[in-house]
Amino acid sequence: MRKYRSHWSQGDREGYQRRSNYYEGPHTSHSSPADRTREEVVTPTLPGHAATRSQMATSLDFKTYVDQACRAAEEFVNIYYETMDKRRRALTRLYLDKATLIWNGNAVSGLDALNNFFDTLPSSEFQVNMLDCQPVHEQATQSQTTVLVVTSGTVKFDGNKQHFFNQNFLLTAQSTPNNTVWKIASDCFRFQDWSSS
Amino acid sequence: MSLPSGHTTGHTDQVVQRRARCWDIYQRRFSSRSEPVNPGMHSSSHQQQDGDAAMHGAHMDSPVRYTPYAISPYNRKGSFRKQDQTHVNMEREQKPPERRMEGNMPDGTLGSWFKITVPFGIKYNEKWLLNLIQNECSVPFVPVEFHYENMHASFFVENASIAYALKNVSGKIWDEDNEKISIFVNPAGIPHFVHRELKSEKVEQIKLAMNQQCDVSQEALDIQRLPFYPDMVNRDTKMASNPRKCMAASLDVHEENIPTVTSAGEMDKWKGIELGEKCADRSPVCTTFLDTSSNINSILELFPKVLCLDGQQSPRATLCGTEAHKRLPTCKGSFFGSEMLKNLVLQFLQQYYLIYDSGDRQGLLSAYHDEACFSLSIPFNPEDSAPSRFCKFFKDSRNIKILKDPYLRGELLKHTKLDIVDSLSVLPKTQHDLSSFLVDMWYQTEWMLCFSVNGVFKEVEGQSQGSVLAFTRTFIATPGSSSSLCIVNDELFVRDTSHQGTQSALFTLVPTAFSSSVPAFSQEQQKMLPS
Repeated sequence: MRKYRSHWSQGDREGYQRRSNYYEGPHTSHSSPADRTREEVVTPTLPGHAATRSQMATSLDFKTYVDQACRAAEEFVNIYYETMDKRRRALTRLYLDKATLIWNGNAVSGLDALNNFFDTLPSSEFQVNMLDCQPVHEQATQSQTTVLVVTSGTVKFDGNKQHFFNQNFLLTAQSTPNNTVWKIASDCFRFQDWSSS
Repeated sequence: MSLPSGHTTGHTDQVVQRRARCWDIYQRRFSSRSEPVNPGMHSSSHQQQDGDAAMHGAHMDSPVRYTPYAISPYNRKGSFRKQDQTHVNMEREQKPPERRMEGNMPDGTLGSWFKITVPFGIKYNEKWLLNLIQNECSVPFVPVEFHYENMHASFFVENASIAYALKNVSGKIWDEDNEKISIFVNPAGIPHFVHRELKSEKVEQIKLAMNQQCDVSQEALDIQRLPFYPDMVNRDTKMASNPRKCMAASLDVHEENIPTVTSAGEMDKWKGIELGEKCADRSPVCTTFLDTSSNINSILELFPKVLCLDGQQSPRATLCGTEAHKRLPTCKGSFFGSEMLKNLVLQFLQQYYLIYDSGDRQGLLSAYHDEACFSLSIPFNPEDSAPSRFCKFFKDSRNIKILKDPYLRGELLKHTKLDIVDSLSVLPKTQHDLSSFLVDMWYQTEWMLCFSVNGVFKEVEGQSQGSVLAFTRTFIATPGSSSSLCIVNDELFVRDTSHQGTQSALFTLVPTAFSSSVPAFSQEQQKMLPS
C-alpha cells in the first residue's frame, strides 16, 4: 500500500501529465468511421492491453484500469442520458443482447423486452449530479474488462413529478485492435423516494 | 332471461320511460356541443347535423349523431318491446351501407368487444395464465387474439357479462411467486382483427373517435367517484327534475381528475346505453342489461375511466394516441434473483453492518478481497451554499462529475483491503437501520454477485449526532469461503434526507428486505425502528 502511494505521489504524476490529453477533449463518436453510430461508447484500446490484462497486481496496470474506467464512464454517461432523453429508440443499442435492467424493482431482460420497456416509459429529462466509477476486479468478471458506473441526479418523466434517482451500470468492454466498445451488461435504476411515488 | 313477449311490468315501463326522458333532455341540452362520431353507435331519428366542427375531422358520408338513448322519442307510450322493434327498424334504414360489413354480428352491427389485460402478464405462459383465469372465472370464456403487449398480456372477449365476470377474477388469482394477478377490462372499440374487414377510411374515423375519448392524464378515476350512473337509474324523480345539474356535478367530478375530458368523454359514459340498444338485436347482452339496474352498473364499470381499482392504474385502450399509453411501471420493493441468493445477501448485510456499526471496523478486513476497491461519493448540488450535514464526507467524495484532477481521482479510489478498512475506520460512527434496507440484486453469474442497498443510517457521535442520512451502497462480490461473500468492489453514495422527504418515507412501514428475517436488535437499534 505504501508502494502504491509513492507511485501515485511521485513518479506517476508525470505519467498523468503525459496522459492528460485523455481528459482534455471529449472523446465523442462524431468523427467516427462509417460503421460507428452516435449511440456507441468508444474509447481507444489500451496499449498492450491483451498482454497485461491478467496482471491486475502491478500498480501501473491498476492505474491504467482506473483511467480507462473513468474515461469510459464519463463518455458513457453523456451518451446514455442524452440518448435516453432525445433519441429514446436508439437506447437499446447501448445494451448487450442479454442485458438486464432492474427498474424500481421491475425486472426487464433481453433486448426485446428492453425495447418494449423503453418504449412504454414516458419521455424523460435527466440531470446527473453525481458520477463515480470503479474497474471491476477480474476475479468477478473472469477477465472480461468491466467497469462499475454509479450515477445519481434528478429525472422528470412526462406526466410525473420530478424524482431523485440512483442508477448503477456494469459496462463491459468489447475490444478490437483500434478501439474498445462499451456496452451495458446490467442496469439498476431506483427512485430515491420510490415508496412515496 | 328474456322478457316475455309483449309484456313488461308496469314498473319497468315507467323506469324505462323516465330514464329515457332524462337522457332525452340531456341529449337536447348538450346537442350544441361538438360530439365526435363513433361509428359503432347507431343512428337515431334525430338526425341533427352538428356541422363539421363536431366531427373533429372525422368525415362520414351521412353524419351520424351519437344519441345515448335513441329510442327515447318512442318510449313515451307502449311497451319496451314495441320500442325495440321500432328502433330496430329505424336503425336499419339509416345505417350507411358500409356498416353492414362491420363486426361479427349477423345483422352487421359490431359485437361488444372487450379487451382483457393482465398487467405484467409477459411473465406468464399463455396456457397457464388462461387456465388459471378460467378456473376462477364463473363463466366459460373464449379468449380471442391472445398476445403480449409491452409488459402485459391481453386478449379479447366478445361479451360484456363475460368481461364483467373476468373483471371479478382480478385479485383472486396468484402466480407462482404468490403475487396477486390483476385483470383489467376495457371496451375494445373495434379490435384490429375486425378492422381488416373495414375500409381503411373507417378505421381512421374510429381512431379519431377513440383518440378523443382517451384522456392524456395519468390520473385514474376512483371507482367510487362514479356516482352518477347508479343514481340515474335508481333515483329517477330527482334526475328527471334536474338532470342537467346532476350531469354537471358528475362532470365536475370527472374534470377534476381528467382535465382533458371533453364531450367525447361524456359520450363515453353513455356507451353502456349503446349496449342497451344492442338489446334490440336480441344479443345475449341486452336482456341482462335491461333487466336489473345492477347490470347497468356492472357494465358501466367496464369503461376506461371507471376501470381503475382505487389506487391503481389501468392499462390503456390500444387505439389511444401515441403518448397516452406511456406510463411509469409501479415501483416495487427489493428485488432478488432467487431465494437462496436472497438469504445469502441478507445474511451478509446483517453481519457487515453489525461490524460496521460496532465501533471497530477492522473486523471488516475479512469481508474484502485483497485487491478490492472502495470509493465514496456525495451528490453535487449547485444550489448547496450552506454546509450540509454530510459535509464531513466531502473530503473523501469521489464525484468524477466535478472532480477532474486525475491525481485526485486516483487517490480517492481506495485499493486493497488494508487501505479500504483504514478509510472506513475514519468515517463517522453510524447506526444503520436494517429495517429501512431496500436491496436490488441486479446481476449475477457463477463468479459474481452485484447488489445495491438503499437505506438510512444515523450518526451516533460528533456534532451531527442523531442526524439521519440516506445511502446507496453497491457491492460486487465473489463467492468466498464457507458460503460467504468476498467484496471486490464497494461504492458508497451518501445523501442528505432533509429536502427529499426520504427520511419519513423510509421510516414508515414499507416492505423492506429484512421484514421477515429481522434478528433481535440491540436497544440502540430498536430506537431507530419505526414505532
